[in-house]
Amino acid sequence: MTDDILRTTDLTKRFGALTANDEISISVERGEIRGIIGPNGSGKTTFFNTVTGFYQPDGGSVHFDGEEVTGWEPYRLARRGLGRTFQIVSPFKNMTVRQNMLAVQTDDGRSREEKRDRAEEILEFLEIDHIADNEARGMSGGQQKLLELGRVLMLDPELVMLDEPAAGVNPALELRIMDHIHELNDEGTTFVVIEHDMHVMKTLADSVSVFDSGSHIAQGDFEEVSQDDAVREAYLGGTTAEDDEVPI
Amino acid sequence: MVDLGLFTQIVINGLLLGGIYVTIGVGFSLAFGVLEVVDFAVGEYVMVGAFMGAVLAPLFGAEGVFAIPIVLVVFFGVGALIQPLIHHVTTGDRPHPLLMGLVFTFGLATFLRGSVLTIFGPNNQDVPSSLLTGGVTVPGVGTFPVVRTVTAVFGVTALLVFMYYLYRTRGGMAIRAIAEDRTNARLMGININRYQSIAYGAYAALTGSAGVFIGMIFTANPGMGLQYTAFAFFMVVLAGMGYLPGVILAGIVLGLTQSFTAVYISGNLVLLVLFAIIYVVLLVSPAGILGKGEWAT
Repeated sequence: MTDDILRTTDLTKRFGALTANDEISISVERGEIRGIIGPNGSGKTTFFNTVTGFYQPDGGSVHFDGEEVTGWEPYRLARRGLGRTFQIVSPFKNMTVRQNMLAVQTDDGRSREEKRDRAEEILEFLEIDHIADNEARGMSGGQQKLLELGRVLMLDPELVMLDEPAAGVNPALELRIMDHIHELNDEGTTFVVIEHDMHVMKTLADSVSVFDSGSHIAQGDFEEVSQDDAVREAYLGGTTAEDDEVPI
Repeated sequence: MVDLGLFTQIVINGLLLGGIYVTIGVGFSLAFGVLEVVDFAVGEYVMVGAFMGAVLAPLFGAEGVFAIPIVLVVFFGVGALIQPLIHHVTTGDRPHPLLMGLVFTFGLATFLRGSVLTIFGPNNQDVPSSLLTGGVTVPGVGTFPVVRTVTAVFGVTALLVFMYYLYRTRGGMAIRAIAEDRTNARLMGININRYQSIAYGAYAALTGSAGVFIGMIFTANPGMGLQYTAFAFFMVVLAGMGYLPGVILAGIVLGLTQSFTAVYISGNLVLLVLFAIIYVVLLVSPAGILGKGEWAT
C-alpha cells in the first residue's frame, strides 16, 4: 500500500465557461519529487492554486497527509505543513531578509529564540546568511528565489509545491536550487514542481504528471511520458511521424 | 511686520494639533495598506467619537477625558466587526475591489452621519472637560494650552504604542507583511482575516479617541466628519500612500497649515489651502513629499 501525502480526487475548477481543471485525480507519494508539466494554459498553476486554497474548487476533494483539506485557507494549509511558492517571487521588500523569515507563523509552539535559530540555520543552508540584515528590496532575482524557498522551509513543511523554481535564474544558481531540493528531499521533504525546463525536470523529478487543456493526461517516469501518445499529441498537435520528438 | 509672539504661538498650536492628526493619519494609512481600502468613513469615526465624548462626559463629572477608555474599547470592537464586511466586499470575484471599498465606506459614512443627525439634531454639542481652561506659559516661547498639550501627548503616546506593536511584536510583523503583500502573507501561515480585524479595530479606536479630543478643543457637530476625511486624505497624500513614517511629518504639516491659515488668511479657507497643497504634491511628487509612497516603486 502506498503512503500518499497528497491526493486529489476529481478536482475541478471552472472560470465561467472555461474548465481550467477537469476532474484531476493525482496521488503524490511521501518522499518523492513529482514534476508537473504541460503546455501553457494547461491548468498547472490553477491546480496549485486550488490545492493550496487560493481558489475554491467547483468539485472534487483534496487530501493532505491523510486529512481532507478541500477549500482550507492557505494559512491553515501552510501551518499544517503544505508550503508553496509562486512563479513570480515577491519578498516583503521593506523588511530585512531575516525579518522575512521571522514573519512566518506556525502552530508548533516554537519560542522566539528557537525561531531565530531555525531562520539562521536555513539562511546558512541556502547560503544567503551573509545578507540576513539587508533589506529584501536590494536582493537579486536569484537571491529572492532562495529567500522564498527559505520562508517556506520556516514552516517545516512535509510537502513543498514549487511553481517554476528555476525560471529566470542563471545556470549556476539553478544548479544550487536543484541541489537544495535534492538535499531536502533526501531528508524527507516531498516536492511537487512545475517546471518548463525539461532538462531540469528530467534530472529532478522521480515521476511526472502531464496536464493538457485542464486534464491530467499521463503519469509515469520521464522516459515513459515522453513516449506517451497523448503527451506527444498535446505538445506536437497531432504530429505522428516517428522521428518527431516531444520537446522534453 | 510679523508679530513674533503670535507667530510662535501659532507654531505651538499647530504642532500640538498635529499630534492628534498624526493619530488619525497613521490609522487611515494602515487601513489602506492592510485592507487596501480608502476609508471614506474616517472623518465620521472622528465625529462619532466626539459625540460619544459629549454623551459620556456628564456621566463622569463633566470630564471628557474619562470617556477615552470606553471609546477605545467600543471603537475597537465595532471596527473589528466592520472589517469582515469590508473584506467581503473587496475580495472574491467582485470587479474593481478598490471601488467596492470606496462605495462601502461612503455608505457607512452616510449612515453614521445620518444616524447622529437623527439622534442629536444639527446643533453643536460640547465635550466638557476641566482641561479646557488654563495653560502653561513658557517665558520667551509661548503658552501651551492644557487641552491641546494633553491631546498632543495622547496622540504621540498612542502613536508610540502603535509603532511598538507594529515593529516589535509578532502580530505587528504580520500586519506589516499583509500591508506589503497579502497573497504571500497567506502562504507564510498568517491568518490575514484576524490581523486585518486587529488593524481595522486599532485604526477605528485611535480615530474615535482622537474625535473625543477634537470635540473638546472645538466642538461636536454631525457635519464635522467630512473635514476630517479631507484631513486624512491630505496626510496620506503628503506622506505618500502606504508610507507610515511620512504620516508623522504630514500630520505636523497639517496642524501648522491649519493654524497659520486660520490666523493669517481665514479659518474658512483652511480646506481650500489644503487641497491646493494636495494638488501641487500630486503634480510634483505623487509618491509624497518624502518620495517613499507606494507610487514610488
